[in-house]
Amino acid sequence: MHYRDLREFLSLLEQENQLVRIKESVMPEPDLGAIGRAAPNLENGPAVFVEKIKGYKNSLVLNVQGSWQNHALMLNLPKDTSIKEQFFALDRLWNDYPVKPVWVTEKDAPVKENKIKEDINLFDILPLFRINKFDGGFFISKGAVISKDPEAPDDFNKENAGIYRIQVKGKDLVGIQALPFHDIAVHLRKAEESNEPLPVAICIGNDPLLNFMASTPIEYAQSEYDFTGALKGAPIELVKSETGDLDVPARSEIVLEGNILPRVRKIEGPFGEFPGSYSGARLQCEIRIHTITHRTNPIFENLYLGIPWTEIDYLLALNTSLPLYRQLKKDFPEVVAVNAMYTHGIGVIISTKSRLGGYGKAVAMRLLSTPHGMPYSKIVIVVDEFVDPFNLPQVMWAMTTRVRPSKDVVLIPNAPGMPLDPSSEPAGMQTKMIIDATTPVAPDVGRETELLEVPEKTEFWLDYLKRAMRKER
Amino acid sequence: MICPRCDSDAAELLVKAPVENAWEVYLCDACNFTWRSTESEEITDPARYDRRFKIDPLSIPDLPVIPPIPKLVK
Ligand SMILES: [Zn+2]
Repeated sequence: MHYRDLREFLSLLEQENQLVRIKESVMPEPDLGAIGRAAPNLENGPAVFVEKIKGYKNSLVLNVQGSWQNHALMLNLPKDTSIKEQFFALDRLWNDYPVKPVWVTEKDAPVKENKIKEDINLFDILPLFRINKFDGGFFISKGAVISKDPEAPDDFNKENAGIYRIQVKGKDLVGIQALPFHDIAVHLRKAEESNEPLPVAICIGNDPLLNFMASTPIEYAQSEYDFTGALKGAPIELVKSETGDLDVPARSEIVLEGNILPRVRKIEGPFGEFPGSYSGARLQCEIRIHTITHRTNPIFENLYLGIPWTEIDYLLALNTSLPLYRQLKKDFPEVVAVNAMYTHGIGVIISTKSRLGGYGKAVAMRLLSTPHGMPYSKIVIVVDEFVDPFNLPQVMWAMTTRVRPSKDVVLIPNAPGMPLDPSSEPAGMQTKMIIDATTPVAPDVGRETELLEVPEKTEFWLDYLKRAMRKER
Repeated sequence: MICPRCDSDAAELLVKAPVENAWEVYLCDACNFTWRSTESEEITDPARYDRRFKIDPLSIPDLPVIPPIPKLVK
């Protein structure tokens, strides 16, 4: 049976030797940030379970999704599954959308084991810590925030689950970053237009697939819960929140319920962000927490982000790639795979067969006009269909042997950009670059080249060697 | 208490460690900075806090607003 929640996933990781337990008491700073930075530096980065943190009651887990091994196990695949195979497995699972959740009663919802409705003190429950040295405070960086469209409270598909950075600013007060293009900002705008608070539930220690989907750019009226069910191959279990009529995961560790205060903006940040640099202080929204429900001995799951690669890069890798792949594939069926793993799709590699001369550029331009590619993607590299876009040495081979810089490199100045990209100037504007590393086809002309072939029986021997290596372990 | 980040005399005790009396966390009312008493002096000492990350409390109202506050609709 597949894992049902974070705890069961952690047991699976432990069985697969992908989890390390730290039993001695550690200091919140600088150790917890340092652990989060160190774990993904390892080739097969383990999750790290910190049992005891000085001054706190509860334990913490970091780097749950911080390696391709853990990522494969999350998808219920063997831990040595290649990235390209994981990409295609995810593509197959995507077809199963929607798998509707089931609602369980409170007695079957572990997250309701404990309820706190007065004297809220986040520090009592969460072992909070400074993630990077010059963050403006202690951040909750892996909480899925649930909210509803105030104009369509009964439309389950418009209920949103998204991971947004959350700064703790008081015992019961947190700040949240809702960028205008985030789904929660749509909910918030509608609430603020009528000066109403927006009820939210911040869910922590979730099924890893829910966190994965809450980090995925999907359409406004698509449900993260229905997608989580599809990827799990089983419905996710939900239960009603204490207030605000929200649907929250029944098996999560901790749920913080509160309201976004309408029409209030207070200083938040800086915060070390996914491009590997700090994003500065801004005036942002605040949430007053009024209720906490949690499992007994709750596990605080948090995320370290630093100069790539760290855990966040795995949460923004294949789930960023897949929607782009599917959008391209609709009009350009020759596209084989899309690797948008670099800094949330700021860098993208597309593998495609060319239908006609200049096709690679056409595919790249389509990518740059997709909803995600338009603001995010800056550097688009297009390679032939036989080049694995997840294999960077192969991509470098294509760049070094196929690109004619005077014809194949295109710049599009003053286009939309991603404000968190520190090279975006002014913030939100960017020059796009297309590098077409495909082999020219008619009517374009290139020098004749005869490619080397893969020897017969290579697949057989690859499989043989893989098995032999597995036995050794 | 002086805030190490913005130098305002606006910081107060926010919370004590839930167990072991291990530390206290302070909160600045002017710039919302929080810090723990056990952090390094580069964080807790106003004179040593990195100048690149200092905040002038007078500049706070001019920071960008995210997301913009919409007009009230009846
Ligand atoms: Zn201050």
